[in-house]
Amino acid sequence: MSIFNFRYISRSAGVVVLALAGVQLHAADMAKHVVRATIAGIDVIEYPTDIKDVVTIVGSLPAGDTFAADNIAVATLTGTLLDKGTATMDKFAIAGQLDRVGAKLGFSVGQEVLSIQARSLKADLPLVLKIMADELRHPAFTAEEFDKAKIAIEGGLQQQAQSTDSRAAEAFNRAIFPEGHPNRPASLDEWHTALGSATLAQVKAFHEKFYGPSHMVLVVVGDLDIAKINTELKKDFAGWSGGAPYRRASKPAALGAPVDQTVNLAGKTSVSVFVGQATGLRFRDPDSLALRAGAAVLGSGFTSRLLGRVRDKEGLTYSIAAGISDDTFDDGDWRIYASFAPTLLDKGLAATQRELHLWWQDGISADELAARKTDMIGAYQVSLATTGGIAGTLLRTVQRGLPLTWMDQYPKSVDALTLDQVNGAIKRYVDPKKLVIIKSGSVIAAVPPK
Amino acid sequence: MKSIGPFSLTLLALIASQGSSAAQVAVPGFTFVQSVGGIDEYTLDANGLQVLVKPDHSAPVASFNVTYHVGSRNEVTGTTGSTHLLEHLMFKGSEHFNDPAGNSIKQYLGARGASFNATTSYDRTNYFATLGAKDLEGYVAIEADRMRNLWLHDADKQAEMTVVRNEYERGKNDPNSLLHEDVQATAFMAYPYHHPVIGWKSDIEKVSVQELRAFYDTYYWPNNATVTVVGDIEAAAALNLVKRYYGGFPKSPHPIPEVITEEPVQTGPRRVIDNKPGKVGSVLILYKVPGTLDADIPALDVLGDVLYSGKNSRLYRALIDKNLALRVGAGVENLRAASLFELSASLSPGVTHDAVEKVMLEELEKIKTDGVTADEVLQVVRQHRAAQAYGRDGKASVVAQLSEWIGIGDWTQYIRYEDKLAKVTPAEVQRVAKAYLDHRQSTTGWYVPEAAP
Repeated sequence: MSIFNFRYISRSAGVVVLALAGVQLHAADMAKHVVRATIAGIDVIEYPTDIKDVVTIVGSLPAGDTFAADNIAVATLTGTLLDKGTATMDKFAIAGQLDRVGAKLGFSVGQEVLSIQARSLKADLPLVLKIMADELRHPAFTAEEFDKAKIAIEGGLQQQAQSTDSRAAEAFNRAIFPEGHPNRPASLDEWHTALGSATLAQVKAFHEKFYGPSHMVLVVVGDLDIAKINTELKKDFAGWSGGAPYRRASKPAALGAPVDQTVNLAGKTSVSVFVGQATGLRFRDPDSLALRAGAAVLGSGFTSRLLGRVRDKEGLTYSIAAGISDDTFDDGDWRIYASFAPTLLDKGLAATQRELHLWWQDGISADELAARKTDMIGAYQVSLATTGGIAGTLLRTVQRGLPLTWMDQYPKSVDALTLDQVNGAIKRYVDPKKLVIIKSGSVIAAVPPK
Repeated sequence: MKSIGPFSLTLLALIASQGSSAAQVAVPGFTFVQSVGGIDEYTLDANGLQVLVKPDHSAPVASFNVTYHVGSRNEVTGTTGSTHLLEHLMFKGSEHFNDPAGNSIKQYLGARGASFNATTSYDRTNYFATLGAKDLEGYVAIEADRMRNLWLHDADKQAEMTVVRNEYERGKNDPNSLLHEDVQATAFMAYPYHHPVIGWKSDIEKVSVQELRAFYDTYYWPNNATVTVVGDIEAAAALNLVKRYYGGFPKSPHPIPEVITEEPVQTGPRRVIDNKPGKVGSVLILYKVPGTLDADIPALDVLGDVLYSGKNSRLYRALIDKNLALRVGAGVENLRAASLFELSASLSPGVTHDAVEKVMLEELEKIKTDGVTADEVLQVVRQHRAAQAYGRDGKASVVAQLSEWIGIGDWTQYIRYEDKLAKVTPAEVQRVAKAYLDHRQSTTGWYVPEAAP
């Protein structure tokens, strides 16, 4: 149990952070300490810190669900099969090598990218890189593992189907992003159908077409011997080619008619709620930071309006937050997430909308902006407290299409925000008359509050 | 420790291998107790407050944590959930730091980008923040004030009760969370690990602010707390800060109550079935094992990882790789008075509970009969060693792990436990499997989904 738990909106969404605990702090000149090179076609970013023995790796390449045009399940099937054996080793032999040194290596598939995550001791990094390259380049793609993966993914879909949070998020994202937009997820029904018809041949073809170094980024942070790492990368990835560029939305998502939708699930004691809209903004767009600061005043942390009033004063919810999402690769959205007891749903939603309207109508105050700036800059310093935090920040900066010098500029950019910029962005990108409201839970069974 | 996720030993001993250590310092008003792995322990003479200090100058940041030696095991029927509700009310203001004064903990930390929170578990409650070292003193002042000068207003309690009730309701949305609660309540019949940390819903709704005040006045005293400081501050400066803000409080005017209830011996297997709308069924088996400081716990920890810690573990091969289960789990739920060894699985589509439970028990039986290999044990130990190094990555995680061991009753195990783990032999793993994972000592639960009405 904890006093405060936000799972669906990251407090530091979009906020990069400077290095702190256990790492070397370069404060205002972080970019200067980055070593960046194209190695075997891969954009390799290395950042040495003074932590002993530990190395963290994150990376990505554009091979997410949005690229699986013929069958939505194929990208996830491909990513799932990467660690299920290669041309020369079965999955148990690979796992045995990693487990014996306590190294971690994994892959996950999102809307846009295949993500890579790894961690090892310094001495074991060559082993991890070798296995990573082998799994990315030469997956076995056996029929046996393909069949197993389909069953496992089907089970995962069934678990999602009973989660109010997952169902509300799915409906919300489908309501705000139009057909063909990279941020629009497939429905659970579409997933079931696609999974049933996906073939191993499609998986192999997907791998052939989209896996390659040309748009891959690999970030390595920690106790680094850079010359040695680069030598290993050249050797492990030598001769690899291919890869496809990111698929961008043909045009930003536009606001449509208001939506008020309920996804009923039986037997649930709390209702998950999303309220929000598409913004049409990518992270790197000029108004993005101002809107982020405004959204933070509305719903980020204990001192935000939503938490301070809807939760603390009125006691209507345990979890409520607002923020900007899904704008790394394409235009994204602003959203409020909240949970309410079925009997308090109407009251909670009304209070949320009341605060939303006040925020939009009157804007935020100079005092609120001043406090939020120090919070954002402080959080920027505190939350990059680990090699994982630094690595994630470096990767997101590149994924957002920003230069690495942006990381050093960030505190100044926050500090330079004006009240007019923030309140202007709120007015431009939020339209209370066209809200998308999604509720998931046992809503029909709710009885009026006493 | 269920409340904050699986108890991980991944961060152990990290201080020891970091080289730099907090040299023992002489600060008037403190008695030095011991130094283990670079962490120094002192007692504040004025009131018995235990203080752990570890300077770490790698960055201008500090993590500060206060752990109260009170958890849901200290509650009784009618006031279950009080520890947790009180944890929430600790953010409503204290005599010198509150919203009207403009200097509440939320206002202070919120304006500085600090990472802060509080958690409650069966054995302890902790409050913590990671922030710029220059801002540490202000936080210590606020944290100390709410140790003895907390506001407890009925209006705040009424508003926060519904917040906590929604936290309870959110938890019950997950059928597996509900199953764990029901199975644990069946495994423990007398000991207060019987009730969930968050409490029973009716108690959450009905506990009075007077009862919460009595609970606070019973347990929130310096001699029932441990303060931990890890970060960019010298030991003497840290101790002086603690003395400045905590030194004025007296010891509790009464002995801190002990839990006297003992769990009766279980005389046969117990079973629970939960029916609720849903799609994915699950099986959970709990065995009672000794408290976490018992000498047999390291071998049970190794047993848990041999059963499930990756693709080469036994339950992965027997259940996940055969598409019988979507997820499995195995390991010790670490508790102070009596722990639980847990086996769990979420069923793959079309697979029966019987089939999965049978395989889980067969795998356990194989270990009881044939033991485990030296290679399996060595692999687990090496994984833990690597995880130790990963645990150096962040001060906040260091104080969090220390807090868990403080709650268990011996913070030095944060350093020493890894050596115990490294000495575990295959024979010991087989012995503890036979000794504790006895069917007659088990409580088995099934979550059987039912169709929505």
